[in-house]
Amino acid sequence: MVVSRVRAVPPVQTSAAVPAVEVRGVVKRYGKVEALRGIDLRVETAERFALLGPNGAGKTTLFSILATLRAPTEGGARVLGLDVVTERDAVRRAMGIVFQEPAIEQRLSGRDNLLLMGLFYGLASSAAKTRAAQILDELGLSEAADRPAQTLSGGQRRKLELARALVTDPKILFLDEATLGLDVDARRGFWTQVSGLAASGRTVFFTTHYMEEAEVADRIALIDHGRIVALDTPRALKARIGGGVIRLKTDDDAKARAWMIEHELKPEAGNEELMLVHSDPAAALPELLRHLPVKVQRVEVHEPSLEDVFLKLTGRGLGDGATAAPAESRNRANGGTGS
Amino acid sequence: MTRGIYAVVVLDLKRFWLDRTRLITGLLQPLLYLFVLGAGIGSSSRLGGTYQTFIFPGVLGLSMLFTATFAAISIVFDRQIGFFKAVLVAPVSRTAIAFGKILSGAIQAAVQGLIVMPFAPLAGVPLGWISIAELPLAMLLASITFSAIGVAFASRFTSVTVFPIVSNAVLLPMFFLSGALYPLTSAPRWMQIAAHFDPVAYAVDLMRGTLLGDFFFQPWLSLTALALVIALLTRSAVKVFNRGEDDSSLGQTKFAWRR
Repeated sequence: MVVSRVRAVPPVQTSAAVPAVEVRGVVKRYGKVEALRGIDLRVETAERFALLGPNGAGKTTLFSILATLRAPTEGGARVLGLDVVTERDAVRRAMGIVFQEPAIEQRLSGRDNLLLMGLFYGLASSAAKTRAAQILDELGLSEAADRPAQTLSGGQRRKLELARALVTDPKILFLDEATLGLDVDARRGFWTQVSGLAASGRTVFFTTHYMEEAEVADRIALIDHGRIVALDTPRALKARIGGGVIRLKTDDDAKARAWMIEHELKPEAGNEELMLVHSDPAAALPELLRHLPVKVQRVEVHEPSLEDVFLKLTGRGLGDGATAAPAESRNRANGGTGS
Repeated sequence: MTRGIYAVVVLDLKRFWLDRTRLITGLLQPLLYLFVLGAGIGSSSRLGGTYQTFIFPGVLGLSMLFTATFAAISIVFDRQIGFFKAVLVAPVSRTAIAFGKILSGAIQAAVQGLIVMPFAPLAGVPLGWISIAELPLAMLLASITFSAIGVAFASRFTSVTVFPIVSNAVLLPMFFLSGALYPLTSAPRWMQIAAHFDPVAYAVDLMRGTLLGDFFFQPWLSLTALALVIALLTRSAVKVFNRGEDDSSLGQTKFAWRR
């Protein structure tokens, strides 16, 4: 299996009592705008933890606070037991980050990038060189290592970002939309590496727009309007829906909705499209289609997805950036219903 | 601290090396000033042929000033994209980053200056032993001053587009007032006074003095002025670099973690 190839380093030992991430009552204001309105969460060591939410929900702000790039207005956050404000440098030494935007010098080779990163983390030149070679080898980038980064494929460049984050052998990895724009294969390759890292005892804290990526998380926090609206395992989150989901598009959604409510069906709030949770959708659907007083343009029945959970909890979708697994991708415009 | 400075310098010099053709194209401007503008103006000035000799240290300063400024622009680029984002989450103090940026800019300026130096004899500048011994010190001070000027400005900008505007509004006046292209001794009184507030004037004068032996300012005055300018600009750059770190109401009041 790939896992064994990825890392030969023994699992990182952290005392079980200290959570990998601890956030308590964090509020962040930018002037009058409240980006975070009281976040509490706890991520255990070696957990894969996903932060999921539409653009503007506060994901990036929370991520930046944990990454020591911003400080909370109220409350506190600790990474590996270290305060992100008062023990900033210690946090920086202990973590690795992959940003959404490229953070490698494109004109330099991958090897040079890693070497430089090593220097920034206080390694001596020779140690930095050794470490760079080691990581490149582990991530299978050795062959591409001496070409300018800009000549590499998108997937290789992302791996190089991961390699950069691993220079200091961090105990915790922060990934911010790390696979944005990659094709399916490259994404899969990237996550295989990340899973290997998690398996060796590292904590992985990530944000993503891709539903199927969030599914690999041990736990997911759904965030909306600066608050965590749900925090659970993917399975438990989906179980909250109970049953299956029917999605409808009709000539007159408002009329259809009114009709449903009249007939004691409970369509979910939100006006982008009609969503109905039912314990046995397959059995209910024919009846529904026969009696609905409007013309149905499109109907869809599926197992509940994380996006359905989000819609149920907040009355709006995850936004235009959010995509379900590409095969069943639905084009949904961000209706902006939640405000 | 020193490791952080070292890392910034290595990063910048690696990137500088990728652009090494700039060292050659960077020669074009000083040579134009020296052998075209210099020859033209010299022929109509009472300095005659010695005009080129006179402006050589000024043109040397110009070349170094613009190299240092150009190096500083990378700070603005870095903010927008690239490697520096990763540097900002590395355990490197912002102070070390500011020092490193100033040092790497100074090295680049000095290298560009050394490339202009071989043209000194062509401009009629005698390269005696004394000037060869003293000149490096003057060039070093000038390089650090110019780099500190560049970094102090560049660190305040978030957009690359406004930078040329500011550099034209600040660098060109500083260059023109410095007496690089004319003797300050015969300049109007107000320009002589203005030159006293122009760090470029001291740097150019120090280089001219060590090369040609005629100082407008007392050498100790130039040395003091440059040291002061370097100290002030470095301090201001350090402040700006550290500003990003103080984005908190929490900075001092710690969160009470007990319970």
